[in-house]
Amino acid sequence: MFSSLFTIMRHEILMTMRQAFSWLTPLLFFVIVVCLFPLALGPDTDLLNKVAPAIIWVAALLAILMSIGNIFRSDAEEGYLDLLLLSPVPLTLLVLCKVFSHWMTNCLPLILISPLLGLLLHLNAHEEYALIITLLLGTPVLSLLGAIGAALIVGIRGHGLLLPILIMPLYIPVLIFGTGTMMAANANLPINGYFAIMGALILLSLASAPLLTGLALRIGVNQ
Amino acid sequence: MHSLQPNKLTIDNLAFERNNQFLFREINFALQAGDLLQVRGANGSGKSTLLRMLAGFIEPQGGTILWQDKSICQHRDAYQQQLHYLGHHNGIKHSLTVYENLQLHAALMTNKPEPNHLKTAIKQVDLTHVSHTQAIHLSAGQLRRLGLARLLLHPIPLWILDEPTTALDADGQALLGHLLKQHLTNGGMAIIATHQTLAILHNTKTIYLGEQHV
Repeated sequence: MFSSLFTIMRHEILMTMRQAFSWLTPLLFFVIVVCLFPLALGPDTDLLNKVAPAIIWVAALLAILMSIGNIFRSDAEEGYLDLLLLSPVPLTLLVLCKVFSHWMTNCLPLILISPLLGLLLHLNAHEEYALIITLLLGTPVLSLLGAIGAALIVGIRGHGLLLPILIMPLYIPVLIFGTGTMMAANANLPINGYFAIMGALILLSLASAPLLTGLALRIGVNQ
Repeated sequence: MHSLQPNKLTIDNLAFERNNQFLFREINFALQAGDLLQVRGANGSGKSTLLRMLAGFIEPQGGTILWQDKSICQHRDAYQQQLHYLGHHNGIKHSLTVYENLQLHAALMTNKPEPNHLKTAIKQVDLTHVSHTQAIHLSAGQLRRLGLARLLLHPIPLWILDEPTTALDADGQALLGHLLKQHLTNGGMAIIATHQTLAILHNTKTIYLGEQHV
């Protein structure tokens, strides 16, 4: 079972890496959106520093939303989704596999490049630290929750902006705690409590999202 | 290939309704080891829907499907492990090579195959020369052959094939006939939606969907 899961995950990551646009597009989108703000707001260091958490978090959220919507699309088009449903491997685990490889290929690059963007927005070392940890804790939640929405719309043609409408409200807690942590870091307040809450959000979504995604997929293939 | 255990699939009074109209109803048949069922009917007569229902993807709105005398709705997971489904799309990931696709399918069936086993399957469907080509560069017929190779990885009692002859050349169709014959002789069963008469074995049953045959 575990060697199967390992093989499936390896192939998932391989597939994404072969289609460079599928992981490069969200990354470039993230970088460009963040870079637009210093250009638009002017060289006011204090102002940039103050709005940096909001800019980075909203940009990351949009970039992830952009990529997670496609997590099941090619599977459905190629008839591969049917095979996932027929597999003796529990669907919940298969979903978890897919979400994890999405996180590895789409979220991890964002996290790796974010310190650089932090410099652009005049974050100090302590704030950079808070930024990386909150992104590490927050992005898995965004991937997990996004997968539910992606599964719900899998059977619908031309869904366009349906996914953001479905999923954005669920992203609000992550956004609040993500930016909250960085504002606390900015004010030199203790931030470990925030980290704990974000860790709890991961556990909550880890326990519920794959199951719900699996159920939504079973309904979705009926369309 | 190993011999398969004797199995039984019984369909009783199956119906499917869409927009207050019956797409099909009163479908009855029973399949035993070695039986082939051909589902025939005009375009839009509900062949694919019936096949997806038999694969457990869609719940019937009327009637029952029994596998070994147990309803498949209540024992869906156990039932779905007993079948191979080959739909219009072959379940092939386009960005993986032929070989990697089969590796992935074997993993999905919690099978840990020898590399030779995969190579044999690829050879059987005559794709050896493209085994390291990404599936996106394959023709429709080659994709269909790769879909068939998937059936050979692991002996499974019930094959559900939706128009398997589409895009296959004469050789490919002969190959499909040969594979089906082998499967049925080994005690498997198969349900096929098709527009062509497959001359395979004597124990072939046929059902017709659509107005003209009701």
